[in-house]
Amino acid sequence: MIEILRRMLRSPQGALGLVIVGLILLVVIVGPAFAPYDPEKMAPLMRYKPPSAQFWLGTDQYGRDILSRLLHGARATVLLAVLATALGTLVGAVVGTVSAFLGGRSDEAIMRTVDAIMSIPSLLLALLIVNLLGKSSLNALFAIALAFAPGMARVTRSVALSVRKQDYVNAAIARGESAAFIVGREMLPNVIAPIIVEMTIRVAFAVMLFATLSFLGLGAQPPASEWGLMVSEARRFMHLSPWMILWPSLAVALVAIGFNLLGDGLRDVLNPRS
Amino acid sequence: MGEPILDIAGYSLDYATPTGFTRALDDVTLAIAKGEVLGLVGESGSGKTSLAWAIMRHLPKSAREAGSIRLTGQDLLKASEAEIEAIRGRRIGMVFQDPSTSLNPTLPLGEQLAEVLVRHRSLSRKQAWAEGEERLAHVGLKVPRQMMRRYPHEASGGEKQRVVIATAFACQPECIIFDEPTTALDVITARQILDLFKALQEETGVASLYISHDLALVSQIATRVAVIHRGRIVEQGGVGEVFARPQDAYTQRLLAAVPRPDHRLVEAAPETAGKPLVEVEKVSVLYGRKPFLGRLLGRANTQFTGNREVSLSVKPGEILGIVGESGSGKSTLAKAMTGLNRFEGEIRFAGRRITGLSDMDRAYRRDVQIIFQHPDSSLNPRQRIREILSRPLALYGEPGARKDAAAIGALLEQVRLPASYAERYPHQLSGGEKQRVAIARAFASRPKLVICDEITSALDVSVQASVIELLVDLQKRFGTAYLFITHDLNLVRQIAHRIAVMYRGDLVDLIDVAALSGADLHPYTRSLLAAVPAPATAAA
Repeated sequence: MIEILRRMLRSPQGALGLVIVGLILLVVIVGPAFAPYDPEKMAPLMRYKPPSAQFWLGTDQYGRDILSRLLHGARATVLLAVLATALGTLVGAVVGTVSAFLGGRSDEAIMRTVDAIMSIPSLLLALLIVNLLGKSSLNALFAIALAFAPGMARVTRSVALSVRKQDYVNAAIARGESAAFIVGREMLPNVIAPIIVEMTIRVAFAVMLFATLSFLGLGAQPPASEWGLMVSEARRFMHLSPWMILWPSLAVALVAIGFNLLGDGLRDVLNPRS
Repeated sequence: MGEPILDIAGYSLDYATPTGFTRALDDVTLAIAKGEVLGLVGESGSGKTSLAWAIMRHLPKSAREAGSIRLTGQDLLKASEAEIEAIRGRRIGMVFQDPSTSLNPTLPLGEQLAEVLVRHRSLSRKQAWAEGEERLAHVGLKVPRQMMRRYPHEASGGEKQRVVIATAFACQPECIIFDEPTTALDVITARQILDLFKALQEETGVASLYISHDLALVSQIATRVAVIHRGRIVEQGGVGEVFARPQDAYTQRLLAAVPRPDHRLVEAAPETAGKPLVEVEKVSVLYGRKPFLGRLLGRANTQFTGNREVSLSVKPGEILGIVGESGSGKSTLAKAMTGLNRFEGEIRFAGRRITGLSDMDRAYRRDVQIIFQHPDSSLNPRQRIREILSRPLALYGEPGARKDAAAIGALLEQVRLPASYAERYPHQLSGGEKQRVAIARAFASRPKLVICDEITSALDVSVQASVIELLVDLQKRFGTAYLFITHDLNLVRQIAHRIAVMYRGDLVDLIDVAALSGADLHPYTRSLLAAVPAPATAAA
């Protein structure tokens, strides 16, 4: 683990990704404690204030401090995105590995189903699911997880297929191990590295997808300080008070860039051929 | 001896690694004269291939060199990039180990041969194709005109290697490097390629550096031999001299490890009166799915036959060797017997009938174990040795039996590994040690039959000798029967009681090892025997 970190720091994109993601996680954990104001406290006299010494990032249309809202919103935005990706990855990885292990007709059936789900654009699928289940952050999480699972299943299966041909899997079958043991203990640990890389990169997509859903009014609901929702609400005041839309947009972009860089760095480090 | 063509003096090579420089070649001094074949013998990792690439001037950026490599007086280390490009292919040729990877799969064979001629002999394309055809005919290809237009996948391994050799000889180079040119080929094909090599060598008088790990083979074709060990040339001299009176301790060890059919390692076969332990009755294996749609549309069955009605039997405590070239169905049979392949027919084990995968219960799986060829792939890289060895104990151990660290330590000591290895991961072990762990895993359940699927072919000769010794020892201790699958006829004659010969999915011969020199043999067995190079000392 420490060895991986050290090698990450040696490549520029890995080091930068690690720093950005580290900062974001710090904000997620201790951010609310450092927020100067209550994120939902309205102040009619302090509306539309540009960035100043009093309000570092300015205030919004209800006079709420944007910095405080961003610090509080990090938890909802980043945590939900990571959870949604993790859930989607877990489902996808298991489906992909099982499919590769079974092979033959079952593999064919599973993968064609996955193809069918994949042919629906992920945003459309997420919209569909949220519309069916109702608007809420939790449902948005499930929607994103489900939208990611087929892609992860494909990636995992392609790796698992080569693992399936390894003799340690044959040895386990010849030994009479159960299918669950072979998938869980023999195959999954050996496909984990590319999955982790893929997952880190997908967190960035999840953040953006979450922001998109909230922007469309289907994810987090006002007065939550979710970043996508903040962008959506600030849209109307873009011309007079551009900072209102600027800061949350930058925050979303930073998270996306950070996780992307981290994923690139991890790919280089975890690939044994490099 | 006149002026040497290739003269390597005090050549050292280091590779930069994160932990400092690693020495790959250490003070290598070699000379090859015109018309001479220098056999370079060494085990994997000894620096043979590094030397070949150093001569070809194709080294990674992390390489650091010292000394000199001279081609007819010109120091290649000091030559410019342009000079090297003019020398490569023109004055030094190279033949690689595996023709299926050294030829570009997207270009016709003729294109690849003609390219060399166009580039180095300034022929026009048309001339080059005509010349190429001639070259292919020269290396014994029956239909050179068609062969020129074929893609690599349309030619057999032997044909491809002939094309590679034709390419290497195409510009009449002064020196050719052969990097294990027959290792990837079947015994009989390898024999033919060697004959071709000898004929071309005599005809052109090229200075050849023949790299190989196979001592028997080198003893037959080389005029002089150099033994390389960990980057150092430990001994060099005339073939007869080195093989008959090896001076260096390493060479002596290496020669002693070469399998010799006349040196039997096992006692006589168990008395024939005993009931067979396992009987394989007309077992057939078909690969590929039954074409459901194809049958509806009336298409022909496209299934591929792996085994065709193979019948054999193994007595308790007997070692049955199975030999045959790659694709002959040896491993297919092993997989069928361990439930990794569907099969038709019947296996009778200790009196029980087994007609399919569902009949293979825990008792059968405990009694029949398999050891695979590559220990790298048969041990899960993410599990510690302890974990790997604990699975068979957990699955087959008697309820009261120990499954603790002591039991695993005992298993490791049984294969002569220290008990402390239990905490290691497979990648922290050498190839031979990994194979010992695989053997320990197979013997953990006290099986009655162990199927060894080419278990020594990925190992060096000296490691192979110790693994075989271990197997023979275990056989004596536990009376286990082996199904020993290999392509090495010399090795199998050393340890097997009976030998089964397979050819294209059929069992063509099943004979006592003593009868192998007798008369009543299948023609394929006969040609297989003729193709095997005799052990090294026979040349002395």
